[in-house]
Amino acid sequence: MKGTELNYGDLEGFFKGLLESKAVDCLIMPRRVGNSVSYMLVRDKDKITAPESAIFAPSFGVNAANIVKGWLIDEKVGIVAKPCETRAAIELIKLTQLKEDSVLLITVDCAGTYANEVYAANYADIGDQVDSAKIKELAGKEISIRGACTICENRLADVGDIAIAQANGEKAVVAGLTDKGVEALTAAGLSLEEKGLEREAEKEQIAADAKANLEALPKIDSEAALEEFLRDCIVCKNCRDVCPVCYCKDCFFDQPLGNPAGGDLLNLAETRGAVAVPANQLLYHLTRVYHVCTTCVACGACEDACPKDIPLTRYYPVITKKVQEIFEYVPGKDVKEPLPFTTYEDDELEECLK
Amino acid sequence: MGEEKGDFEPKIVGFTCNWCTYAGADLAGTSRKKYPPNVRLIRMMCTARFDPMFALKALLNGADGVFISGCHPGECHYIKGNFYARRRIAAMRTILKQLGLDNRVKSYWISASEGDKFATTMKNITEEIKAVGPNPVRDEIL
Ligand code: SF4
Ligand code: SF4
Ligand code: FES
Repeated sequence: MKGTELNYGDLEGFFKGLLESKAVDCLIMPRRVGNSVSYMLVRDKDKITAPESAIFAPSFGVNAANIVKGWLIDEKVGIVAKPCETRAAIELIKLTQLKEDSVLLITVDCAGTYANEVYAANYADIGDQVDSAKIKELAGKEISIRGACTICENRLADVGDIAIAQANGEKAVVAGLTDKGVEALTAAGLSLEEKGLEREAEKEQIAADAKANLEALPKIDSEAALEEFLRDCIVCKNCRDVCPVCYCKDCFFDQPLGNPAGGDLLNLAETRGAVAVPANQLLYHLTRVYHVCTTCVACGACEDACPKDIPLTRYYPVITKKVQEIFEYVPGKDVKEPLPFTTYEDDELEECLK
Repeated sequence: MGEEKGDFEPKIVGFTCNWCTYAGADLAGTSRKKYPPNVRLIRMMCTARFDPMFALKALLNGADGVFISGCHPGECHYIKGNFYARRRIAAMRTILKQLGLDNRVKSYWISASEGDKFATTMKNITEEIKAVGPNPVRDEIL
């Protein structure tokens, strides 16, 4: 792998170099505003200041891929984001909701994140960057990372075009993961050398811990449990809107059949005697979990967005993972690997149909 | 209300492909093979037309059982429709299994010449769904 080590102080010059050299036409990247970190879309390099105070921040507001969902543009946008966000962008490329040639995916190692409002409220304790030890220490003070991050198996920067990895508070390794990434790094003026970034043992440990945490989550394993889990859902569909891989332009649940009103609803009540309103709560979540079953990157954006605090991480990432397992598919891992529903093998899956 | 496991007549919705299972049902009929009247068939041109939402809607509207059936893999009239369908059905059933909802859902491959198999399968699914019992959502306000 080709890369180089940069001092934190040199990161600003690197990002400016990406814009200056036209390696990208714009960047979507985290920026700091006081105690908070959120994304900006930047075209003028002079607007980039002290990126090291923002790009490592363990704060999750939206999934950056959701910002560019459906952007079929010709200009090239660089996206500086966490691994689950890059993986969502890669799924969007495969879903033809994003052009591969129009993005440069720059992935930053992640140790786990706090909901952005939790991050801002506890900035004094959390700071600009955390590692696993710090996360444990903060948990002791009841400052906890997001549920989705506790079950994340792939939080090291090993997807996308460029990795920003092993940041230790002073220096970070910046490495090209694809030819496109290497070209961009070279264009931005970095001189690259051979850099090992394999980290297999660390990845295995992360995956094992994440699996154990997932197993420990309460299961939703009966219709009664599902109804109980969703009882307070008001079918606002925020969880759909913030989901980076839920992309239909005309969602069934915005149409008369999926979102019945007036006479349609009266007719339904006539047939069944009574209907719960807002209608289709169960159908909505059962359909949505099928729609994202191969592409859910387990980012937890849905849970964050739920106004009713339904812990959706126990549902979407957990249920979809088993589907991904039957297809041996890890969403966002490889842009060249076909989506499971676009391919097949002649002889397969009979045991899943029993 | 009041229907007990075993002694009720389940309503079963079957999504069948035009070229194989639907024709198989026809053969069962013309060769006077008896099968329970509990199944209602919905004909699709191919299992590839099956959208898991069909099954979800049927179940949430009170169907006691649902099945999907088409040509044997490799024998789809449209060459590979059922290969894609098999992936979707497998995904749907993997989801439903985790949620404890899969015991009302079945899938089969029954060809146009398998009138016997169609009749036997319908007998079996009716017995299986009787054993599972009435779909509780019929008594719920959903
Ligand atoms: S369903 Fe939830 S966890 Fe999965 S990709 Fe969408 S927002 Fe992220
Ligand atoms: S965001 Fe929450 S309340 Fe809104 S539809 Fe999703 S689960 Fe229901
Ligand atoms: S035509 Fe029967 S499964 Fe495709």
